[in-house]
This record gives sequence, C-alpha cells and structure tokens, in this order.
Amino acid sequence: MTDHRTARQIALVAALGSASIAAADPPRFEVGSRFPQIVLPSLTDGRPMSLADFRGHKVILQVFASW
Amino acid sequence: MVGIIQEQHPDRARLFMQWKQMGWPIMIDALNELEVAVVPITMFIDQHGIIRALRPPRRRITEAVQRFVDRRFDDPAQPATRPDPPIDSPIGSPTNLPSAPPTAPSKAPDLARLRAAARDGASCDWRTLGQALVNWGGSGAIDEAITAFETALGLEPEAKSGPTNFRLGVAYRRRYDSARRRPEDFQQAVDHWSRALDSNPNQYIWRRRIQQYGPRLAKPYPFYDWVEQARVQIRARGETPYELAVEPGAAELARPQRRFSNASDEASEPDPQRRIDSDRRGFILAETVVVPAAVKAGSAVRVHLIFRPNDAIDAHWNNEAEPMQMWVAHPPGWLIDRHLHTIPNADTAVSRETRAIEFELVVPADAAAGTIMVGAYALYNVCEGVDGTCLYRRQEIRIPVKIGGS
Repeated sequence: MTDHRTARQIALVAALGSASIAAADPPRFEVGSRFPQIVLPSLTDGRPMSLADFRGHKVILQVFASW
Repeated sequence: MVGIIQEQHPDRARLFMQWKQMGWPIMIDALNELEVAVVPITMFIDQHGIIRALRPPRRRITEAVQRFVDRRFDDPAQPATRPDPPIDSPIGSPTNLPSAPPTAPSKAPDLARLRAAARDGASCDWRTLGQALVNWGGSGAIDEAITAFETALGLEPEAKSGPTNFRLGVAYRRRYDSARRRPEDFQQAVDHWSRALDSNPNQYIWRRRIQQYGPRLAKPYPFYDWVEQARVQIRARGETPYELAVEPGAAELARPQRRFSNASDEASEPDPQRRIDSDRRGFILAETVVVPAAVKAGSAVRVHLIFRPNDAIDAHWNNEAEPMQMWVAHPPGWLIDRHLHTIPNADTAVSRETRAIEFELVVPADAAAGTIMVGAYALYNVCEGVDGTCLYRRQEIRIPVKIGGS
C-alpha cells in the first residue's frame, strides 16, 4: 500500500510538467553513479540536509519546482 | 521520498509544500547547485547512495517503485557477493541488505574556512564561498555573497561562467527582495541570468527564471497563478496559508500570449504640454527593469517600473487626490500593449507602499542592434511627511531597451 501512495506522490510531482522537455541531464546523474554530496537547506527549517542523511535507506528523489 | 525544489523564493516553495500536503523532507536548491537543466526528475537511490534508476517510466511507476523496494543492492565499497541486477529486470525474491548505519547529520560548511580558501583561491573557491553565504550566511551576508560570485566571474572564462552567472543573478534578486536592496539589483539579476543562458541555451531552469519576469509571448505558462488557489484550498482545510515575503508580481501571474495585443489609440496623454511641475526634489524614486536583458529584433520585452517614496525626505503617496498615472510613448514602428496606466489610491489618506507598473513592447523586425531609449512619464500626488505639504508632480523616465539578444 505504501508503494501505491508513493507512486501517487511521484505522479503528483511529475504532473507538474514545468520545464520537462527532452534534454540531457548532467553527466553526474547516471545510473550506477553515486549521487553527489551536496548539502542544501531544508525547506521547513533551513537546517543543513543532504542525501547522505538518508544513507542506509532507499530514497525516491524528486527534483521539481512549483512553477 | 525526498525532494529537492528549484525555486528562487523559499517561502513560495513552502506554501506549495503546504498546499500539496507534502510531508516528506524537501531541500531548497535556489542556486541550482544540482545543475539539473530540467524538472521534474525522479531518481531511485539505493541505501548506499547509488543512483539505480533515472526517470523511471511514469506509466508503470507503481511497478517500478515496487521493484526498487524489493531489489537487493550490494554496497559497491564491499566485495559483491553477486552482480546487482538491473532495476528493470523482473521482480525477484532477493531481500534488502541490512540497512547501513546512517552517517552523521549534515553540517553547514565552515564559512571561515571557505573565506580563507577563497582568499588566494581559484574561481571555484569563490563560487563555493558565494553559495555557502547565500545558503547559510543569512540576509546580512548577501553583499559578501555577491562580491564572491563577482570575483569568481572575474577568474573564469565567459564560456564556462553559466553557473556562476546564474547564481550571481539569484543573489542579486535575493538582495532585491531584502531590506538591503539596491535599485539596480533586479536588473543585475536579469542581466546575469541572461548571460548564463547565453552560455547554455539548453539550460531550462535558467531560461524559466528569465521567462518568469519576461514578456507573455515568451511564457510557457503562468508561473505563480497557483498561489491564490493554494491559499483558498489551504484555508478551506482550516489551516493558515504560509505567508509570503514577496507576493508574485504581474509578470509572474500573467498568462502566455501567442499574439501580441497592441494598444488601441483611444487613450489620451494626460500631460502632453508638460504643464505639471517636475519632481525635482525626488519625492518618488523610480527603477526600471527590462526583461530579457537584450531583445532580438522582432521580439517582445517586458518593462517593470517600480516606484518607491523617498525615505530620505519622508515622502508619502497622497491618496486624497487623483490616482497615479503613467504614460509610455513607444518609438515609431514599435508595438505597445498599453500607453496609459493608472494605479488606484490606497485606502488611507497617505501611504508609503511600493508601486509597480509593467508593460510590454515589441521591437520592429528590422531594428538595428543597439540601445533605444523609450520615454515615459509618471504623474503622482505626494506629501512631505504625514502632515506635510502635498504636491502634484511629474517624473520623466527613460527606459533603455537593448536590441541584439540571441
């Protein structure tokens, strides 16, 4: 059930459309490569956060925009 | 599920998150440090930090998620007991490896160390410092962030300066939206975003940032028309919508246009004989911003005019007289969507709000490269102090439109 809910959330973000066009992603994003170590502010409280904080867990990452 | 949102204004992203009831952790990447050229992008990342799927097929997303959850992924740092199967192979029986222990929580970079590294460093050191100052330095560090990005730009070739130009534009716009704002900040942001896009026209995150403020002919969609709908739906749930520091401007709400709607000639000029006295004391400070920074012949530009009462002489709008007007006289052969603009008075007798007027022009297809000055003037009622003398004044405005963009 969790996976259906996750799929719906992915679909929600994917449906935003936005700047989605056929274009190459930077080479740093390749299947089999390690996700880059980038520390960014959390949207809710501004504290430092990175994908490394979720190490040990599988992550479905959504890169998106509101517009 | 984890998100990274590409957004200039974090508060708008928070409102969006509240509206869509996104309960998962989301990071804000205002500077596009991820260097994605498009959104949205979905990635499946295993427990070791390895990307296992990029843009999984949307039509079969449930199966893809299930496969990802069920799949066992070996730690590439450890000897593999067997090769990892591809993510799109049939769902098998292997179970997940025991979860690796989580790493220490992320820390913000050490600004003192980054400053020391930048002092005699390369462009990347200055850019890293600028990024850290924008993300972690607070509003008081924005001047230093701008200096850091500008120093980085001076050290790198123009062809490779796209990311730095984009981030410098973000920093300028961030300062423009703060109490530390300077009149030229918004145009500087547009200029640097335009330079970034010139260096990589396939970078759609950068392109969209210009289109957000640009003419309707170039807009793919309205950028922030969801804000009001979000507020209504959030209130209907009994919640209070997250407050925005900066409300979306007219350009950010405008709908795309496929054909330019030229102004009718019915409007008449309010002061053709220049009979209204000039605002020589500078009661009202005017700023002009032209988007994009340079326009191709035959294309449209959007002009933002921003009017602020002058703090230094305690100027106020007088709202007990006729409302503010602005007249734009376009050069021969150009098109304009509106000549005469009127801004309604505020409800109080006097006020000090910022007022903005936006309009669009189309440059003739045979226009030569160069800068053309478009003339306009504003007529307004102002008061010196709350109880001071009130006057009706005129201000001439010259808007430089640079022709020759690519």
